[in-house]
Amino acid sequence: MTAPVIFDPYSLPTDDNVNKYTFCVELKSSQWFLQKGKMIAYYGQIEFNGVGHGRLDRLLRTSFHSPLHAGDWVVADGSGKMLLADRAFDVNSYDLDDGNLTIRSGNLLAYQPSLALKQSIVPGFLTLIGTGKFVAASNGPVVFMEPPIRVDPQALVGWADCPSPCHHYDHGYMTGVLGGIRSLTGLGGTSGEEHQFEFVGAGTVLLQSTEVLMAEQATGQVANEPGVPGGGQGGPGQAGAAPRLPGQLGDLQRRFGL
Amino acid sequence: MPFREVNSKMVEATVGPGQKMFSQRGAMLAYKGEVSFTPNIQGGQGGLMSMIGRRVANEATPLMTVEGSGTVMFGHGGHHIQVINLQGDTLYVEADRLLAFDGSLQQGTMFMGSQGGVMGMVRGQVTGQGLFTTTLKGHGAVAVMAHGGVIELPITPQRPVHVDPQAYVAHHGDVRNKLSTALGWRDMVGRGSGEAFQLELSGQGAVYVQASEEKL
Repeated sequence: MTAPVIFDPYSLPTDDNVNKYTFCVELKSSQWFLQKGKMIAYYGQIEFNGVGHGRLDRLLRTSFHSPLHAGDWVVADGSGKMLLADRAFDVNSYDLDDGNLTIRSGNLLAYQPSLALKQSIVPGFLTLIGTGKFVAASNGPVVFMEPPIRVDPQALVGWADCPSPCHHYDHGYMTGVLGGIRSLTGLGGTSGEEHQFEFVGAGTVLLQSTEVLMAEQATGQVANEPGVPGGGQGGPGQAGAAPRLPGQLGDLQRRFGL
Repeated sequence: MPFREVNSKMVEATVGPGQKMFSQRGAMLAYKGEVSFTPNIQGGQGGLMSMIGRRVANEATPLMTVEGSGTVMFGHGGHHIQVINLQGDTLYVEADRLLAFDGSLQQGTMFMGSQGGVMGMVRGQVTGQGLFTTTLKGHGAVAVMAHGGVIELPITPQRPVHVDPQAYVAHHGDVRNKLSTALGWRDMVGRGSGEAFQLELSGQGAVYVQASEEKL
C-alpha cells in the first residue's frame, strides 16, 4: 500500500476528485451552490451564505428555480479550495455542455451557477440546464446506459438529454392457473421486480450500482394547481399510499380489492 | 453464461433463449431486452423434496428465475460482488450470499455434520453457517456477495489456510476444513486475543475471504 498522500493548497486537484469519496472545487472569486452540510474542509477565503441572502438575489434569479427548498442550499463565495463529501458515498463530477440532466434530489451535492437548477415534473427529481459542472453522489460507482432500458426504481440516479421515463409493470407470472393461486394466496411471493422505470428515446440513463437509496431530499411542494403532477396533497389516486413492505404483493392487493 | 463485472458492486449477465439463471429476489438493477423475472417458490432447482430440504435446512433464500433474452444488471445492498467460475468442482456458500448463478449449476444442501461430525456442527455455529450450507456444482458462474472486498486465497496440499470464521465467504475444490481453537487461560478470564477460533482449510482449492468481519 502507498503511504497517505498529504495535500496542500497547491497539490489539491482543481475541480477534480481527490479520491473516490471526496471532490475538490477551486473557487476564484466565483460561486458554487452546494447542499447544506456537504463541505468537509476548505482552504482560502470562502464565505458560505444561505440562499435567500439579499446580495445573492441576482444569482438566484438566473440559476435557482426551486424557491421552496431554498433552505437546503448554500452559496460558497470567495477564493480557495473546498472539499466536498457525503457519508462516504462515491462522488463524481459531470460536465454539461448546453445540455440537460435530471437527477434524484438526494444525489446532487453541488453545482456551478452557470447551470440552472429546476424542479423536474417528475416528483423528487431536479433538472439542471445549461453549461457547467456539477457534483453528484451515488452508492457505488455510476454506470451509464443507453435506452431502451428498464431500471429498478431504487437504482436510478437520473437521466440526461431526453429519454422518456415511464412506468413498466411486469406481472406476467401472475397469469395462468399457478399465477392465479399466487396472486390470491400470496404463496410464492413476488419477485420484487414487477415494477421498473422504462426509458425509451435518445439519451443516457445513470444507474447506481446498488439498490440502497440516498436519503431523499425534499424538493419542496409544487404549486397546487390543476395539471401539475404531484401538486397539492393527496389526489384521488394517492390515498393510503403506505410505505410498501417487502414481500407484499405490490399494488395488486389494491387492484384485487384485498 | 459468464458474468461481466461492471464495477465492484455490479455485474452484468446475458441471458439467451433456453438459458435460465437464478438470482436473489430484488437484486435486479436494470435490464435490456425481453427478460422476465418469476419468483421461485422452490428457492432453486430440484423438485419438491429439494424445496422441503432447503426449507428445513433454513437455506431457502428467496430466489427468482430469470429467463428471456437480453442483458441484466445485478447488485444488492451495496455489497461487493465476487464472480466465481466453476469448472466441475463444488462451491460451498451460504444461501443468502448468493446474488445470481447459472441455471446449469446443480444446487444442493449440505449438512455440516457430514464433514467432520460434531466438530463440523460446531464449526457451522462459529462461522455463522448454521447446520447446513448450500453447494453449487457443475460448470458455470456464480456471483457471490460479501461485505467489503473479496480476496481469493489458493489452498494447496502443502499450504493450509487459516481464516477468521467471520471473514469466511465461500470455498471451492477438494477442501477439508476444520475448526482450530487456540483457547487458553487468557480466554477464560476474558483477556483473549479475540482470535480464539480459526477455520483451517487444507487440500486443493480456493477460499474466498472478505475484508470485513461483518455479516451480510
